[in-house]
Amino acid sequence: MATAPPPKVRPPAPWGPFQIPKPLQQLFSHFPLRTLEPNDLPARSQYLTTSDLPTLYIFATEDDALLGLPSFNPTCLKYQTLLRCAGIQFRTLPSTNHASPTGSLPFLLPPRSGCSAAAVQPIPSSSLLAYTAKHSEKKKEQQQPSLREEAYLSLLTPLRNAFLYTLYLDEHYTPLLNNWYIFPSTSSVLVQKTLRFQLRQAAAASILSSQGQHPSAGREQIDREAIFAAAGEALRALEELLGESQTGYFFGRETPGEFDAGVFAYLFPMIRHFSDYPLGEMVRNAGKGGELVRFCERVKREAGWRNVV
Amino acid sequence: MAPLQLYVWGPAFGLPSIDAECNAAIAYLAQTTSKADFQLIQSSPSAVPTHHLPALHDPVTATWSSGFSSIVRHLQSHPPPSFHDHSLPASSSRALADNTAYTTFLAAHGTPLIALSFYVSSANWTATTRPAYSKILPFPLPWTEVSGIRTHMAERAEHLGMSSLDTDAEAEKERQEEEAAANAGWITVPAALRRGPRTVGEVLVPEQKRRIKLEGLVKDVLDVVAEVNLSEASEGTPTTLKCVVYGYLSLMLVEEVPRAWLSEVVRQKYPSLTKFVGEFGRQVGEVESLPWVEEHESNQALAVQTRFAHGVVHEIPWIGEVWRRWWAGRRMRGAGKTETNSGEGVLLAGGSVVMLAIAAGVFVFKRLPRFGATVQRWEMAPVGFGGLGAAGEFLSNVFVKLE
Repeated sequence: MATAPPPKVRPPAPWGPFQIPKPLQQLFSHFPLRTLEPNDLPARSQYLTTSDLPTLYIFATEDDALLGLPSFNPTCLKYQTLLRCAGIQFRTLPSTNHASPTGSLPFLLPPRSGCSAAAVQPIPSSSLLAYTAKHSEKKKEQQQPSLREEAYLSLLTPLRNAFLYTLYLDEHYTPLLNNWYIFPSTSSVLVQKTLRFQLRQAAAASILSSQGQHPSAGREQIDREAIFAAAGEALRALEELLGESQTGYFFGRETPGEFDAGVFAYLFPMIRHFSDYPLGEMVRNAGKGGELVRFCERVKREAGWRNVV
Repeated sequence: MAPLQLYVWGPAFGLPSIDAECNAAIAYLAQTTSKADFQLIQSSPSAVPTHHLPALHDPVTATWSSGFSSIVRHLQSHPPPSFHDHSLPASSSRALADNTAYTTFLAAHGTPLIALSFYVSSANWTATTRPAYSKILPFPLPWTEVSGIRTHMAERAEHLGMSSLDTDAEAEKERQEEEAAANAGWITVPAALRRGPRTVGEVLVPEQKRRIKLEGLVKDVLDVVAEVNLSEASEGTPTTLKCVVYGYLSLMLVEEVPRAWLSEVVRQKYPSLTKFVGEFGRQVGEVESLPWVEEHESNQALAVQTRFAHGVVHEIPWIGEVWRRWWAGRRMRGAGKTETNSGEGVLLAGGSVVMLAIAAGVFVFKRLPRFGATVQRWEMAPVGFGGLGAAGEFLSNVFVKLE
């Protein structure tokens, strides 16, 4: 008796969450209906990519960048100051972290013309110091940072914590935060809210982590008084150190060096933008009083920002 | 007067605490305050409202201060009766400035070195650090708290680019790559047929391979610290700075780890620092001689269970986050600090409901048949007389007709 062969049944494929049903798949395979020609580059790209001067990309408002005014971001301001004090001619353009090859501003594009733009390598902030030394018009004595300088460099951490706390976590300065980082990025209210939340989380995590606390502990665990007390001690120590030096700049330098630029980059925004509330007050009154403000004035003069208030 | 309570990580390696900052805080209290005026309580961050150790509870002012500098500031502004820091007031403002700078420096750069030696290096972590934590934490807590500490410490040392000391992670990565290759259909050499290590480089453990780089990292930090005048004669050096140097260096000098590169480098290159740590350690005294007390014994078991439960909840994505914030807010209010956090409870409840709904949705969705797939149903044959052959058929027909 001939029996029919058992019907070959394909076992159904395992049921995964990302499988697309057949009719939908057929629908999608009709796309794209038509492929359009790529657009030309926008007209402003000519201006943005061509320049006889090196271009420093920083956080700044459009107007400030056009006039070469100080950036409101301490890291950007540090390198902007260094380049200006070295007498290097450059122009600044406002930008965001997304534009940077390293993922963070600032970075510098050397002089370039439109067609050979691809051949120009951007210079990240880690190499900017070497670039400054190479292209500086003023001949400066090259000196390695001393061991004591290394120790005092760590005082920027408490200053940074106080800066981050004031700008990001203090509700009083929310308008400033919005104008600097939120509104230039997006006009959507929902995205603005998300971005602000993310920035605040990141600032809190950074502060906590630098104090040895677990970064996910949350903003509630940040001790505001401890942060400002530590910043006050750091300012007093810097004031004392500056008093030891007879030249008006740290460690007896004749012109502002990396250490001076680093300190200035925190002190100047504190005096300029946070003047009505603890930080500006603390800078003005540190130690015997006024020395740090006078230091900022000196660096400003050296960098050619005489008229910036 | 009720004594001050200092909550710290428990003792390990013959030191008062396994944590550098706690060591420094214990040393400072032991140097400046009589033993009747303070108590040491072995604890973990989940037990204190500030969620960070060392934490000092002052029953007089009913405040908590957390972290070495905060504790020192509190002690100097609200000194207990026997408090006497012989280096205060500071001899010069320069000494004070140096104190601030070097203390900040060591806290920022000493921790990554300790993290590399005790936490990132798999060999040291498995053989020494994890067992030490298991010893100082009451039973179920090591399950929830210890792995988090390792991740956090590894993050703090990330910028040094030494993650290759973590051989567990490397082996895991290799295994995953092999698995991926096998899944993609590549032919791989079976483990039994592979050749063993042949060159010297393949036999060396990562700590040996990267010894020169590690020595460089230690040099970057300790050359600066060695500038501090720590000798007995130096009256000008503040006690706080000595305590911080002792706190970090004493941990670096621990030899009971399988790969003791850190201790070897410090002993070899910085004999004066090694000598200072030995002498200062004797001044602080034996671990057993310090005024340790037990945490409130009556409800300790319950408290440990609660902390464990919190640890488990923290592990749940999103819910853990909201829960942690709500709980932190509650504890801060309990600790006397005002913090507005209304609505968090509602958010938590709502979040739980949403999570449950999503889980239920996923469960139902997973059980739905695939779109367009043929549906097969198996049903049990109706109970009847089918099994009785011809007679059964007759009988069931009769019943059908009757109905």
